[in-house]
Amino acid sequence: MTLRERVESQRFCQGLGEAQCGELAACASERCFAQGEFLLRQHAPADTFYLVLEGQVQIRLALPGQGLVTLETIGPDEAVGWSWFAPPYRCQFDALATTPTRTLAFAAEPLRALMERDPTVGYAVLKVLVSTLSERVQSCRLQVLDVYAPPAGQR
Amino acid sequence: MSAPAEPTLPAPYRIVARRQDSADVFTWTVEPLGEHAPTFLPGQFNMLYAYGIGEVPVSISSAAAGEPLLHTIRAVGSVTRPMAALPVGTVIGLRGPYGTAWPLAEAEGGDLVIVAGGLGLAPLRPAILGALARRAQFGRLCLLYGTRSPADVLFADQLAAWRARGDLELRVTVDRATPDWTDEVGVVTRLIARAGFDPARTTAFVCGPEIMMRFAGEALLRRGVPAAAIHLSLERNMKCAVGYCGHCQLGPHFICRDGPVLAWPRLAGLLDVAEL
Ligand SMILES: Cc1cc2nc3c(=O)[nH]c(=O)nc-3n(C[C@H](O)[C@H](O)[C@H](O)COP(=O)(O)OP(=O)(O)OC[C@H]3O[C@@H](n4cnc5c(N)ncnc54)[C@H](O)[C@@H]3O)c2cc1C
Ligand code: FES
Repeated sequence: MTLRERVESQRFCQGLGEAQCGELAACASERCFAQGEFLLRQHAPADTFYLVLEGQVQIRLALPGQGLVTLETIGPDEAVGWSWFAPPYRCQFDALATTPTRTLAFAAEPLRALMERDPTVGYAVLKVLVSTLSERVQSCRLQVLDVYAPPAGQR
Repeated sequence: MSAPAEPTLPAPYRIVARRQDSADVFTWTVEPLGEHAPTFLPGQFNMLYAYGIGEVPVSISSAAAGEPLLHTIRAVGSVTRPMAALPVGTVIGLRGPYGTAWPLAEAEGGDLVIVAGGLGLAPLRPAILGALARRAQFGRLCLLYGTRSPADVLFADQLAAWRARGDLELRVTVDRATPDWTDEVGVVTRLIARAGFDPARTTAFVCGPEIMMRFAGEALLRRGVPAAAIHLSLERNMKCAVGYCGHCQLGPHFICRDGPVLAWPRLAGLLDVAEL
């Protein structure tokens, strides 16, 4: 599959025209990570939006006294990170490839400029991003609920 | 186990082995003292009676054939905690089996997705073993198991053996990882989008805390699994287990008799109803 075809097969390209997909593809490249390599580092500039094509990525946070804690794992067809979308464009977490990982990497600056310039593209990307985010928030709530914990009063 | 002639009269069983599965979960192997043909269906439960302490419903966690009778129990309260302290050799009362079963035969010919949360793996174990015993009758077979932390993973040896078979997609996730955990992290419902199955020809069995089952059911529906093909196993407080007392009522259903395994359309709007 060419890069262009790869971008066109993404959910946010459904309903977009040829030229718009071409502009999105111009922001993208395929990037591979070896096992143990970082996609994102906490506090570093959030300059890339990754979609995982193959492999597994851990989202990790350094906790004082506890070392690195994995908060969630991300698999194929899932997005890694959204700090690239909103100021101050700094990564909040580490993202570590735990298997050899292939991604579609969008350069954040030209992508944001394209979304600003062409609101149809902006809306298409945002729709996917918001649905991913809402799913993650929901999962996070369940994780926080600690549903498998001993019943109240027995902890 | 054929149902006893007097449905509320327990038969004596001896605890012949005990295994500690995690800090608060243990598995009993029990054997009847008298003549008692042990037949049951995957998903059914027994009422276990610790003499002088009390009686609780517990699912059968053994294979329907070829294994001794197993019950996997979490010590949570006034009956199950003292049960955890009973030594091997103790005689307990047992009546059952009761309730509906996982519809394994209905699932044949298509893909089978099993979603287990926490102790929910125990009632699903007989269904998994049943499906593996007739592996050729199913398309893809996925087991998606989520639990609290690596220390809470149940049946670890069994999971390793299932993974090694290569004909079952096993995904294990924990809500809270430790630094040495290399598997997935996050709620089990996230695995539904990742697993390889054909939604239109899939049957799903789900067991775990009710809130987890609600979200798992919704994720399966989003993926395109037909509502009627999604089956959940419910737990409600029980007393008689034979449809007399009404303790286990959930909407129009008596869970002991109409459940515990019920299809999603019969549970619409009921998963948020608080226990009586
Ligand atoms: C059909 C069915 C199958 C079951 N299968 C199993 C099984 O295989 N293994 C197993 O360990 N348990 C199983 N249970 C749950 C088990 O019956 C209860 O945990 C047990 O009755 C608790 O009794 P207790 O007197 O020890 O606790 P209690 O003193 O009654 O309760 C202690 C605490 O646990 C909470 N609690 C009680 N029951 C439940 C429940 N079902 N879910 C969540 N919280 C609860 C109470 O609200 C209380 O906070 C099953 C229940 C049903 C209805
Ligand atoms: S427990 Fe008595 S009716 Fe179900």
